[in-house]
Amino acid sequence: MKVSIVDYGVGNLHSISKGLERAGASIEVVGDMSSLESAECIVFPGVGAFGAAADKLKPAIHGLRKMAASGTPILGICLGMQVLFDRSEESAGDGVGLLRGDVRKLQAPRVPHMGWNEVLFQDDPLFDGVPEGSRFYFANSYVCHPMEKVGIAETLYGETFVSAVRKGRVCGLQFHPEKSGAVGLRLLTNFVNMAEGSA
Amino acid sequence: MTLTKRIIPCLDVKEGAVVKGVCFKDLRQVGDPPTLAVEYQAQGADEIVFLDVNASVAGVRTMHEAVRKTAEQLFVPLTVGGGIRTFEDVRKTLNVGADKTSINTAAVLDPSLISKCADAFGSQCVVLAIDAKRSGDSWEVYTHSGTKPTGLDAVEWAKAAVERGAGEILLTSMDSDGMKKGYDLDLTKAVVRAVRVPVIASGGCGTLDHIVDVLTVGEADAALAASIFHFGQHTVADVKRALEAKGVPVRWGS
Repeated sequence: MKVSIVDYGVGNLHSISKGLERAGASIEVVGDMSSLESAECIVFPGVGAFGAAADKLKPAIHGLRKMAASGTPILGICLGMQVLFDRSEESAGDGVGLLRGDVRKLQAPRVPHMGWNEVLFQDDPLFDGVPEGSRFYFANSYVCHPMEKVGIAETLYGETFVSAVRKGRVCGLQFHPEKSGAVGLRLLTNFVNMAEGSA
Repeated sequence: MTLTKRIIPCLDVKEGAVVKGVCFKDLRQVGDPPTLAVEYQAQGADEIVFLDVNASVAGVRTMHEAVRKTAEQLFVPLTVGGGIRTFEDVRKTLNVGADKTSINTAAVLDPSLISKCADAFGSQCVVLAIDAKRSGDSWEVYTHSGTKPTGLDAVEWAKAAVERGAGEILLTSMDSDGMKKGYDLDLTKAVVRAVRVPVIASGGCGTLDHIVDVLTVGEADAALAASIFHFGQHTVADVKRALEAKGVPVRWGS
């Protein structure tokens, strides 16, 4: 399975690349959004800010919606999950809109939500083999408010928010699996397996 | 369900090798950065920090090489600081595999660097490092590896930097650093209470109790330590057992 990692032009793509390789995928980093249309599987990494990412993705929105509808596996991580939604309070610009809902400032005494927190997940193939009570690494100031039933996990920090979503083969994780040690790598492996199952 | 307190081994790196400064002087070499980082990951470190203690032009290249090699094997967050002077330095450091960058002197010289980086890369990538030294009833900010007093009050500077978009404060007590007599709990608490971003306490760790103290009494979100780990005195797991015994939530796993 070849995974195309979207390069918004900022930030560290090494960790997610290495994580996906460990999970058994081959990877390519794609900076030219027009070449995304031929991707087998797409990962939106969790680096940068919403406005800049939305701007960069703008020309690809139509194609991405078609790909998602036809079953292309897609994973958004942190900011990459947020851009899958319609819009964000963080900055102007439209998200890709694969999932209905918006992104709002996290209501908590100390923000960013930075560190290892518990993820209460439902029975879902993405979390196969992940022990209950596992902690994952978060680094976020905003959270997603889905307007459809796509939440598969919740986390409490100031407020309870949706920390993982899945709608068919479109997945989003508010935490960083590539920075969450062994349990994070397990999750990436589950995603790659799911993506291969769909090929 | 809450965030756990983070335990962060810090590797002071010089010319591509790890050293531990004692009061910022008398440097002594202790090992290879990627190897040590991966060892600490296996011990359960929640995060790793690399600080470049002599960021010459050649030093920056060797640091980038060490970061790149480390990022290939490290699946917990890596913060890199020391010698980061410009927006371009931040971009390059993230591009070679750092998850966050810590800025110290450059932010004092040009505070707008903080907002520029936060806007482009996100606040979570921008750690403001403060070296603070007690001066009467308050603490003064020093730059240039703790050699230049700035006249800035550490608590006020922390607040100003957060206003500009710093996502985290890495707070080093210069009075405590290298003394192994414990963190400066008053300084830590003063900064924690003044800002609404996470604070990493640094400087002075000599025993497990010191870490417990700074995360409870000192109210820090994370504790950074170096020599307690580098010389095999304790593992990260030892620290977590000590914290758990005091009822402080920690994360287990590697």
